[in-house]
Amino acid sequence: MKNWLICIDDTDDIGTKGTGEIAEEIAQILAEVSGGKVSFITRHQLFVHPDIPYTSHNSAMCFHLCSPLPQDEILKLAVAHLVAESAPAADPGIAILDTGSVFDASALIDFGRKAKSEVITKATAYALAEQQNISLTEHGGTGQGIIGALAGLGLRLLGNDGRVKGKIKLGQSDEVPHELSVADILAKTGLDAVMSTDEYQLKLDETVQLKGKVKAVYLNHKFVLLVNRDANVWCNASKQVLQHY
Amino acid sequence: MDPISVRKEFEQNGTQWIFRTGLGQYGKARAVALQCHFFTADDEDEQIDDELRSCYNCQYRRWTMTSFECVALNKGIIK
Repeated sequence: MKNWLICIDDTDDIGTKGTGEIAEEIAQILAEVSGGKVSFITRHQLFVHPDIPYTSHNSAMCFHLCSPLPQDEILKLAVAHLVAESAPAADPGIAILDTGSVFDASALIDFGRKAKSEVITKATAYALAEQQNISLTEHGGTGQGIIGALAGLGLRLLGNDGRVKGKIKLGQSDEVPHELSVADILAKTGLDAVMSTDEYQLKLDETVQLKGKVKAVYLNHKFVLLVNRDANVWCNASKQVLQHY
Repeated sequence: MDPISVRKEFEQNGTQWIFRTGLGQYGKARAVALQCHFFTADDEDEQIDDELRSCYNCQYRRWTMTSFECVALNKGIIK
């Protein structure tokens, strides 16, 4: 079994299947074919700037795969689905990193950070991928998505960026709070921790009132349910808070 | 809100229609979306407002550095 990080970007357009959904499908295909395991998918927001063309969101989606499949097979399966499902107007890119290989994590993290605040060229992305033995390929349009795909790998390696794709369903409704202990939340979701916005990690016997859409973030290399204190009670953080992740 | 009123909330910049109120103004974004017949919720992962019906959660919203562009206005979906 080998460990991989796989990231895709620039696959969608208004009204088409989202990049997160395509990433989820690729993850499922890879897990089913090889009997491997996949992690939660993280969404990484990249720079919004007039000089950066993007179809709908300019966010990359990344996941971890533990699988016995060789790299060429992973690439073949992932690309087949990426090409089939990407929007006609999209510029898809995919990056695949063997996390057991020798690579410079700090160079990738630096690239990821820059992609959140600077305009980066495809040539720079390809050069870094070649130096670090990362599979980086484009599959239609301008291929601009390779920049975000590589940046997404770096941001996932950083461990402090991104929201987790999807909602967490624990029986809560939009109107009525549902109280659960931290121990129950972790057991039922597979998340690693429940943490406040100022990074206090809640103890297992503390309780949280869940309401509405509950989402997790990637923080300190953990999948974390973010909470804040409201009238002395821990509540899941609002979307407005989560948008900063 | 009729289409003319919706358009008043946006400033035309070339071919782009930019939300005049900018970022982080949830009340205004909700008020406009509530009246707009073309509001369509974006992917859940891309929504940032807790209130679903908000321009900030709309599929036709494309972020800019200081606000967002309404693609529905740009494409003539809202006439």
